[in-house]
Amino acid sequence: MNLILEKQALPGLLQSWREQYDVYVPQKMERFSHFMPLTEESVLVTGEPHNTRIPPKALFLPMTETLVKFTRFGGYEDAQQNVQPRVVFGIRPCDAQAIQLLDTSFIQEGYTDPLWLERREKTITIGLGCHQPCHNGFCTTVGYGPFNKSDLDALLTDLGDTYLVETLSEAGEACFQDLSPASDDIYEHALEIQQIAHDQMPVAFETENLKEKLEQNFNSKFWEEVSQSCLGCGVCTFLCPTCFCFDIVDETQRKQRVRNWDTCMFRTYSLEASGHNPRPSRVERTRQRLSHKFVYWLDQVNQIGCTGCGRCVRYCPVGIDIRAMLRQAQTLPFEVSHAV
Amino acid sequence: MPDLNAIKAEAKRLLAEGVVEVVVAFKPGDTPLHPQPAFFTNVDEVENLVYDGLCQNNLATFLTRLPKTKKVGMLVRGCENRSVNALVVEKQKSRENLYLVGIPCEGIIDWRKIVERAGEAVLAVNENNYVVEIETRDEHFTFSKNELLHDSCLRCVHPTPLSADILIGEALPEGNLAIARKAVEEFEAQTIEDKYAWFQKEAERCIRCYACREACPMCYCTECFVDHIEPRWTESGATPAGMQGWHIVRAFHQTARCTDCGACERACPMDIKMTYLTEKLNHDMINKYNFEAGLDTQTLPPFATVTLDDKNRFMA
Repeated sequence: MNLILEKQALPGLLQSWREQYDVYVPQKMERFSHFMPLTEESVLVTGEPHNTRIPPKALFLPMTETLVKFTRFGGYEDAQQNVQPRVVFGIRPCDAQAIQLLDTSFIQEGYTDPLWLERREKTITIGLGCHQPCHNGFCTTVGYGPFNKSDLDALLTDLGDTYLVETLSEAGEACFQDLSPASDDIYEHALEIQQIAHDQMPVAFETENLKEKLEQNFNSKFWEEVSQSCLGCGVCTFLCPTCFCFDIVDETQRKQRVRNWDTCMFRTYSLEASGHNPRPSRVERTRQRLSHKFVYWLDQVNQIGCTGCGRCVRYCPVGIDIRAMLRQAQTLPFEVSHAV
Repeated sequence: MPDLNAIKAEAKRLLAEGVVEVVVAFKPGDTPLHPQPAFFTNVDEVENLVYDGLCQNNLATFLTRLPKTKKVGMLVRGCENRSVNALVVEKQKSRENLYLVGIPCEGIIDWRKIVERAGEAVLAVNENNYVVEIETRDEHFTFSKNELLHDSCLRCVHPTPLSADILIGEALPEGNLAIARKAVEEFEAQTIEDKYAWFQKEAERCIRCYACREACPMCYCTECFVDHIEPRWTESGATPAGMQGWHIVRAFHQTARCTDCGACERACPMDIKMTYLTEKLNHDMINKYNFEAGLDTQTLPPFATVTLDDKNRFMA
C-alpha cells in the first residue's frame, strides 16, 4: 500500500507506537546519530548524517551479550534476553539490506542462532530512503540502492512536507493503518525522486570479474600494498553493517559466558593455542576482510557481502578506502574461469 | 605551511643517496579529509607525497612495525619527534637508523570539526596561511584554521621538532605551558561526582575497537593487557567495567610517555575524549618530576628508573 504521511504527524505517530512497542529511532549522540529508545523528549535525526555511526546490526547482535550464567555446583542456566516487540524507525536501506545478509548466516536450518532469531522476529523495521545520496556511500555499485526495499516492513520517501509510505508487509501496514492512501500522481513523483537518487550514486568500482581477480591474486603483492598503512584496529569491521564475527569468552568473575564482537583485523582473532597464527600480519587480515565480502559471501549465498554504506571509508583512522582498493584490484591480471 | 617541494626534495635525496631505505610520510587520501600514511621506497614515488593540516596520524606509530634495523626516514612534527625520541629511550629503535625530516607544525585539523560545520559531502579542502577553504556539494566555507584544530594542537607546547636531522621551514615559537595546563585545571575544578560522570559518559561509548591503541606510537606491546587471558586483567566485553578498565589502564600505561599528540582521539570512531586523562598525567609528571616525554633520546621516564639510594623508604 502507498500512503501519505504528513511530516508534522510523524512525532505523534512514533509516540503512539510506544503503546505496543519499544521504539528505536536515530538520535543525536556527540557528533553522530545512534539508534536509541524513543522517549517523550527524543529528537529524531532524519537528515545528515544519513547513517548512524554504529550500524543497526547492534540491535540484533549486541556488542556484548550474556549467553549463559553459571550457578553453584557446576550448573548453569541460559541468560534471559527479555526482548520486547519493537519498531526500528529510520533504518537506511543499506543497513536493512545488511540485516538480510546477516540472516543468511544466523538463520540456517540446523544452525539457527536463537538470540538473533528472537530479536528478528520481534522487530519491525521501517526504512527511510536516501533522497539526497550520502557522500562516500556506494550502494548502487554493489547492486543495492538508496531505496532498496529488502528486509523492510515499510519504506519512507521524503517528498518535502510529506513522506510517501510504501508498506511492504502486514506488520508494516499495521503501523500506518490510519494514514490516507497516496494518489497515483504522488506515487509517480516519489518514484521519480527515487530514480534520481539512484542515478546520482556514482559507480565506485566495477564488480564484474572482481571475485575471480581477488581469488586468483591471493598471493599478489597487491595485498601488501593496500594493507601497508593499516593500523590493525577494528573500526572498519565493527562499524560494518555486515560484519558479524564474535568471540565467546567465559567471564569467570561474573560467572557468565558472554559473546563479544570480534574482528578478523585483530591479531588475536586467528591466533591458535599453539602460538601459530595462520594470518600472521595485517596483509593476510586485510585480504580476509576484502575476500570475505567480495569472494566468500558470493560463494556461499551468491550476494556481495557489502551494502555500500561507506562507514569503513569515512571512519578509517588512516584513510584506507575500500573503493580504491577494489579499483586497484580491478587492474590485477586474471583468467576467465570456465567453471561448470 | 612548509614548502612541499622542499619536503619532497629532501625525501628524494634520502632515497637517492641511500641514507634511508624507506621514507614514512603521507600520500593523498581517496577522500579529501583523509590523507594516508605512506611508505616511499623509491625516488619516483615521492612525487605523490603530500603534507597538510589534515595529515592526522602520528607516523611514529609505524616505527615499531618496521624492522628494527631498517634505515627509516620519517616526516616528523613536534609531537611525532618527541614520540620517536621516547621510543628511542625505550630502545625500540636506535637513533642511528633514523633520519627525521622535521616540520614546524601549525597544528592538525580535526576532520570532525569540518564535518560538524560543513556537512558530510566535502569535495575539497584547501589550506593557506591559517585559512581553510572548504568546498562541499552545495556550499563553500571559509574557516580560520584555529577553529578547526584538534584540541591537543590548541594547547601544543612544542610545535617545532626538537631533534630533527633537518628542519623544513622556520621554527615556530614554543607554546605556553600555563595555557596548556588550562584544560586539565578546568577538568580538575569539577566535583568528584561530575568528573566520574564525565569519565563514564566518555568511556562507556567505547566499542573496544582499539583504534586509540593502534594509533598510539607508545602502544607497541606484542600482547596488550586486554588480550591477555590468564590472568584476565579486565572484562573482555563492551560492559561498563570493561570499557572503564580499558580507558583507565590505557591512560596509566602512558604515564611519562605520552606526548599529547592526540592521535588516539582522532582515531576514535566514537568521538571519545581521552587526552583529558593522559594530559592530567603529563602535567603531574611535569609538576612532580619536571619531566616531559621525548624531549631527548636519553632521559628515562621517572617511572622507568630505579636507584638504590631512592629517597623513598621501600628501597631502604
